[in-house]
Order: sequence, then structure tokens, then C-alpha cells
Amino acid sequence: MFSSEKFTPYRLVGLAVLVELGFVIVPLVIGFWYSVNRVQFFQIRSFTGFDNYWRVLTSPSVANALAVTVTFSVISLVLTFVIGFGLAMWLERSNRLNGVMQAVVLIPYMIAMLVGSMLLKWVFSKESGLSDLVLAPMGMGDVSILADPETAMAALVYNAVWRDSAFAMIMLLAGLKSIPGHLQLAARVDGASAWYRFRRITLPLLQVPIFITMIRLFIHLVNTLTYPLILTGGGPGTSTETVVLKMYRLGFNDNVLGQANALAIMVFIVNIALVAVLLRLFKKAGNIQ
Amino acid sequence: MNDNPYLRHAFRRAALRTVVNAGIVFFALAPIAWGVLSSLKPTNQILEVPPRFIPQDVTLEHYERVIGDKGLLFLGNSALISAITIVCALAIGSIAAYAIARYEFPGRKVLMVFTIGVMSIPIASLLIPTFTLLSVVGLINTHVGLILLYTAYQLPIVIWMLYGYFLSLPVEVEHAARIDGYTALGTLRRVVLPLSKPALVAAALFVLVFAWNDFVVAVTMTSSESVRTFPVAVYFYLGFYGREWGPLLAAAVISIIPIILIFIVLQRYFISGLTGGGVKG
Repeated sequence: MFSSEKFTPYRLVGLAVLVELGFVIVPLVIGFWYSVNRVQFFQIRSFTGFDNYWRVLTSPSVANALAVTVTFSVISLVLTFVIGFGLAMWLERSNRLNGVMQAVVLIPYMIAMLVGSMLLKWVFSKESGLSDLVLAPMGMGDVSILADPETAMAALVYNAVWRDSAFAMIMLLAGLKSIPGHLQLAARVDGASAWYRFRRITLPLLQVPIFITMIRLFIHLVNTLTYPLILTGGGPGTSTETVVLKMYRLGFNDNVLGQANALAIMVFIVNIALVAVLLRLFKKAGNIQ
Repeated sequence: MNDNPYLRHAFRRAALRTVVNAGIVFFALAPIAWGVLSSLKPTNQILEVPPRFIPQDVTLEHYERVIGDKGLLFLGNSALISAITIVCALAIGSIAAYAIARYEFPGRKVLMVFTIGVMSIPIASLLIPTFTLLSVVGLINTHVGLILLYTAYQLPIVIWMLYGYFLSLPVEVEHAARIDGYTALGTLRRVVLPLSKPALVAAALFVLVFAWNDFVVAVTMTSSESVRTFPVAVYFYLGFYGREWGPLLAAAVISIIPIILIFIVLQRYFISGLTGGGVKG
């Protein structure tokens, strides 16, 4: 409409584009520039090419962080998705009770991640006395959840599942709503079992929403800083130190901004690859016209 | 009644529903409830072993301590930054969304892909470069810096939500307004925006929740108390109070009260933003 005004749309989107360029694209350019230089206290000392990248890639602590990130995000993704899917199916029918239940599930998602992780830190801490209460009957009275590498990782996964299942649920609920009701009904009339209907109607028609949900969850999990920073502090040792937490510490604790930026750029490239997959899925779902 | 198999079946179903729902409520809310209950106990009872779930004596001393310890300043900073971010993101976002919804122009599709792309890029990978940028241009540790960043991070989702809503509005009224001599911006302001209240509320809420809850950006980009937001203050309490869980949990509860209240009242608006156009339906 109004196609006679050739330049109006560009003037209208101008400010938004400017803001995005200024605070998303320019930082990346500057970050890249820092990453190929030796930097000390914001002073660029010398051009070093990909030396920072090489240092980061060959560093054992980054390799460890990578392994931690993969373990954490894959386990969390599977559990969060399955539980979110279960919740979506369980609370699918619209009625008052299910509306209230959805709201309850969403509360951990609505509150600040920092606060959620802190509340769980309190729950899991030895001092709250809860872990003793639960674990002692199982013969694990002396276990301090956050002080043991394996249980600390489990606590981290628990944090992700506790908060992010709600996101998976909402995304999948929206997908479920788009399945025409008469399909389910017809199959029901024909005597199809619930499991058969789930496999032959729900799953195939939900394919795109399922992939979109999983990719968005995965992007979120790979990039979360708050869970490990608050709940476990990356510990004990570096057993829960994720790549993003490592990057954060390189920048703000170790003050090696060149290396921190190199790691950030690499994380960014991984993200771009994931986002590219997501965009393809959006196109498939007909969201970009 | 027990002889009737249908009734028995219905009863079993209802019992199962109740048990599963109770389990869901427990897992979702128990950590929050435990935090609230602990925050109301006097210090010596917080660490009691075995823990008592219902506080023996209820006290607000931890809340008083947090509020007294510059808590109001930090809450004020959070409220101010959230409010200005909402205004900026909605103003800039609605204009851009209007252009994308109503004009056909070369580059429009690129812009939409760019919008979804930026929307999906997590902040974490931008953190270090952005810290570097803000330090270079002198916006580090300022209210303005945080507001600009929050606006930039929330603009794509705002544009996306408003774009979808604008598309659903009838074009004819706008045509009439244009014939009456309104400019594009005039039409947006006087015709389109008054019709778009639900979408504006949804977008505003989304921005509010982000800005109010954000910790990662604020803790990276600010250092002095005068610009500190409440979540960052909570984080510093974690270091400062150490193992004093009373004030820590009180601060946590203060932070979530406004969000939960707003959420209870305006729940349905959140959900439209959450799916972010990612799923049609």
C-alpha cells in the first residue's frame, strides 16, 4: 500500500536499523578487532592475527568448558523438551483449571533467572537442611549436592529443566492448537488408540514446531551464563564451568580481553549457524512472507 | 455407586488428574515457597536442623535490612530503566513494524530475516564485545548505556509482535486517513496505535519483564551503586552477605513480587510474545 512514497519505508525503519547496527553489529566488529590483537587494559598493543584464537582453542580449560557445555545442554535439552511436551499434552484442553496450571508452570520462567538460580542454590545448599532431609533416607546423608562434580551438574540440569520446561510447553501448546480438531476426532471415531493418534497425527503435524522449540531451547541452553554463574559458580573446581562462563571469566576476572573476544566471536559463529537453521524452519512454517 | 464401572473409571481419572496436577504445582513452586518461608524466619531459625517448614516466629527484619541498605535506590534504578526502555522500544519498534507491515519495498524481506536473526542471537555472545564498545564510547556504567542496550535487544521482538498485529488490522481506515491528509506517522499515531492496545500491552510487558529481570547485561555494564539495578544488587548481596540467607532471600522475594503480580493479571499477553511468531497458531 502507498507504494508511491518511495523513501517513506526507509525513513520509518531507519532508527530501528540504526539502533541494531549500533548495539549489535558494531560491538561484533569491535569484538572481532580486539580478538585479532593483543589487548591490555583496553589498549591495543599489537596485531597478532589469529593468535588469540589459537590460544583459546588449544587451552585445556576451554576444552573442558566445551565438554561441560555439551553435557549440560544436551541432557537439559532432552529433559526440558520431554517434560515440556508432556506438560503441553497434559494441559492442552482449554479450561479454567488448565489455564491456572499453565500459569503455575510459567512462574519459574517469569521470575529473574538470577533469582530462580539463587532460590535453588538455597534449596540445594547444605545449610538449608533440605538435602539432608531428602538424601539421608537414601543413605547419602553426607552428600553436599553442590560440592560434588556429578551432583552439581545434576543440580545445574535441574535448574534448566525447572525454569525452561515452561517455554517448551508454551511453544508446543501453540503448535498443538494449530492442529485441526476434526482430524483427532475423525481418528477417534475410527477407533484409533491415543498412542496411535499421537504418533500418526500429533507428531507429524507438529514436526516444525517441535524443531523450532528444540533449536530455540538449545540456543538458550548453550548460551546461559546465569545458571552456572549463580548456582554452582562453575564448581566444584571447573566441573560445571560452561564455555560462556569461561568467556565471562576470561574477560572480567582474567582481564584478557583479546582472548575473551576471540571466544565470544567463536560462540557467536556457532549461534549464527543455529539461527540459520531456525530461520529455515521459520520459513517452512510460513512466518516470513 | 462403587458397582458402576463408568463412575469408578471417572473417579479414578479425576484422582489421577489431581495427583499429577498437585505434583506439577509442587515442583514448580516449592523452591519459591521455600525461599519465601525462609525469608520470614529470624536468622537463628533459618539454619535450624531439621528445617521447620512453617516459620515459628514471623519477622520482616530481613526485608527491612535490604530496603534500608540502599534497596530503594536499586529498585528505583530498575523501575526507571525499565520504564524508559519500554517507551523507547515501543516508539521505535511501532514505527518500524508499521513500515514492514504496510509497505512493499526492496530490502523488506532482508529486514525481516535480520529481525528474527537478531531476536534469536543470545546476548551472551555479545557481552564481551559490547562491554568493549561501551568502554570505548564512554557509555559504560551509565543509565543511558543500559537503556540503549535493552532497547536494542528488545526491539526485534517488539517489531515482530506489532508487525503481526498490524497485519490483522483493516487497511481501509488507514487509506481514508491518508486521503484526509495524514502523513504515514500521523496515521500510525492517530489511527493504527489506538487500535493496537492489546499488542502494545503485550510488547510493553515483554520489555518490562526483560528489563526488570536482566542481570547478565547490567552486571557486566555497570559497576557503581548509583546506576546499580536491583538484580545486580541481589547478586552483590550474594557476595556481601555470603552465607546470610535471610537478607538474600528477602531480596529475591522483593524482586519477584512485582513480576508475579503483573503476570497474574496479564498472563495471556505474555504468551503471545513468548512464541515470538515462532509457531503459527
